[in-house]
Amino acid sequence: MSKKKDEKRPPRLSYEKRKSLYGYGFISLWLVGTVCFFLVPLLTSFIWSFCDVTIDTGNSSLKWVGLENFEHSLTTDPKYTECLKETLIETLWKTPLIVIFSLFIAVILNQKFKGRALARAVFFLPVIIATGPVYAIISGDISSTGNIGAAQFSTMFSTNMVGELLQFLGIYGLSDNMETMISAISDNIFSIVWASGIQILLFLAALQTIPSSAREAAQLEGATAWEYFWKITFPYVSPFILVNFIFTVIDSFTNPTNPVMKRILALRDDWQFGVISSMAWLYFGIIITAIGIITFAANKMIYYETE
Amino acid sequence: MAENTSQGLSKEEIGYLRRKKAAEKIFPFFRFIILFGLGFVILYPLIYMISCTFRERGDMNDPTVMWIPRNFTLNVLKETLDAMDFPNTLITTLMLNVGCAFVQVISCAVTGYGFARFKFRGQKLLFSIVIMMILVPPQVIALPLYSQFRSFGIGSLSVNLIDTAFTMYLPAITANGIRAGLMILIFRQFFKGLPRELEDAAYIDGCGPFRTFLQVMVPNAAAAFLTVFLFSVVWYWNDYYVSASFFTDTRTISLMLRNLDTELKQRLFDTVSADISPREQIVWKEAGCLISITPLLILYIFLQKHFIEGIERSGIVG
Repeated sequence: MSKKKDEKRPPRLSYEKRKSLYGYGFISLWLVGTVCFFLVPLLTSFIWSFCDVTIDTGNSSLKWVGLENFEHSLTTDPKYTECLKETLIETLWKTPLIVIFSLFIAVILNQKFKGRALARAVFFLPVIIATGPVYAIISGDISSTGNIGAAQFSTMFSTNMVGELLQFLGIYGLSDNMETMISAISDNIFSIVWASGIQILLFLAALQTIPSSAREAAQLEGATAWEYFWKITFPYVSPFILVNFIFTVIDSFTNPTNPVMKRILALRDDWQFGVISSMAWLYFGIIITAIGIITFAANKMIYYETE
Repeated sequence: MAENTSQGLSKEEIGYLRRKKAAEKIFPFFRFIILFGLGFVILYPLIYMISCTFRERGDMNDPTVMWIPRNFTLNVLKETLDAMDFPNTLITTLMLNVGCAFVQVISCAVTGYGFARFKFRGQKLLFSIVIMMILVPPQVIALPLYSQFRSFGIGSLSVNLIDTAFTMYLPAITANGIRAGLMILIFRQFFKGLPRELEDAAYIDGCGPFRTFLQVMVPNAAAAFLTVFLFSVVWYWNDYYVSASFFTDTRTISLMLRNLDTELKQRLFDTVSADISPREQIVWKEAGCLISITPLLILYIFLQKHFIEGIERSGIVG
């Protein structure tokens, strides 16, 4: 306390100056923490990715090896590139599906109908469960023994309903392409629905920002629901389509159950810190590039009401 | 009505109204089917969990048992509670994870407020660090953090913090814990949306910024606090990556659930390599899942109404 008084008194700072000092006061705790627990480790891991790291009892000794680690993870490591490819492809086709799906659900949940509160509560439920080990179990991921949720689930659908549908289609010789498509959808609807909790939430919040004047004007002009969606809803939520895209990409990239993360975790048990850091940085580089491209492409199409 | 409107309207307009009426009648039906079907996809694992928890393991091999167990039993639940050492685990989780979650909400609120309402040098740069915090996967920095905690401090004054609660509380107190970046962002957006007059009035009445924050801004931000608090508790509760990295033998609910397999085999059948069919193991696993999400579900049921309203009003989006 006394320190503050000393600082304040002699020059008699202006309101604005003092406010900026207070600003530093508010973020100081975070600043200290970020330097200790974010920036320093980030820098360390960056340096490690160029070094051969050996750690015993807390002391790490580094040997500069240049790009050797990166070379190792891309060429020598038996699984890394494969895992990387798998993760990238999955993110590539799942992200648009999740975003479209959650926009669709958000539009529905934004309408007024009986039982809306219940429906919303159910659709946000994945937000609570999907980040934890419970999700990994119910989607049949952790268990090496039995696939519980997802397998059971898709057996229920694919053998009973989808299977029969396929047989029906098979009669007319349509099955080749249809079969792969339909089974892909039925296998993945579980993971898509479960991955879109927060996205629905964000879209729903975005839909609240549409002013009622826009809605009334559209009604007076006799817009159909279809036109209303494309001419009013879509432009208003377009910034959040970008936000949701980025969020979904980050979410799937940083998910500990994706193949690359599993590979990194597996190597950690072998204490190959240098290689792991290079893998993590390669991976992070790809994320940043992907997000950069999305943002750049999307910024040209987005409608901002203000600014 | 129909005659009234048709008088001044052209044919196209009548057609439009008619189509609109038909759509309004059919649409709720479609909406119901879509919502019901997808709601089922979401609830299916939960229903299955409950169904499995209360059946005997033999029922898993009985093809006639789909939902309703033939042999109702509480033994599976008891055995799982026992294997997870539930009372102790719950206390550890509350002390460690929920405690951290709580602390982090406060620290993130303070930081978010600082970013929202004050202008200072380097603000843009510092805020871009917050964005970086969201983007960088925790796995990238986990290893250096581990070695940092291993010898925390400078030179000879360093202490080994691994296996102590500090590894989770220190980042939480300084707003750098699990998904802290996202939480700071939410608070910043929210505080930006509150009217500036609130603070100016408080300032004129002779209120310092810290008191303004506590007495004027915090009560107005209840919705945002509730939302972020729920997120924070959920993320900390579900976390197993961070707690597995910095603890060798801490038993939080998430970690216990991951190790449930071996633990159960040891306790129930004395050996790790006990031979139970995978299908039969499902009952214990589902019981474990049910146990570990029940506290979250209770919290969610109580908070969800405020939570959803809070999202709508909190201007997370603005």
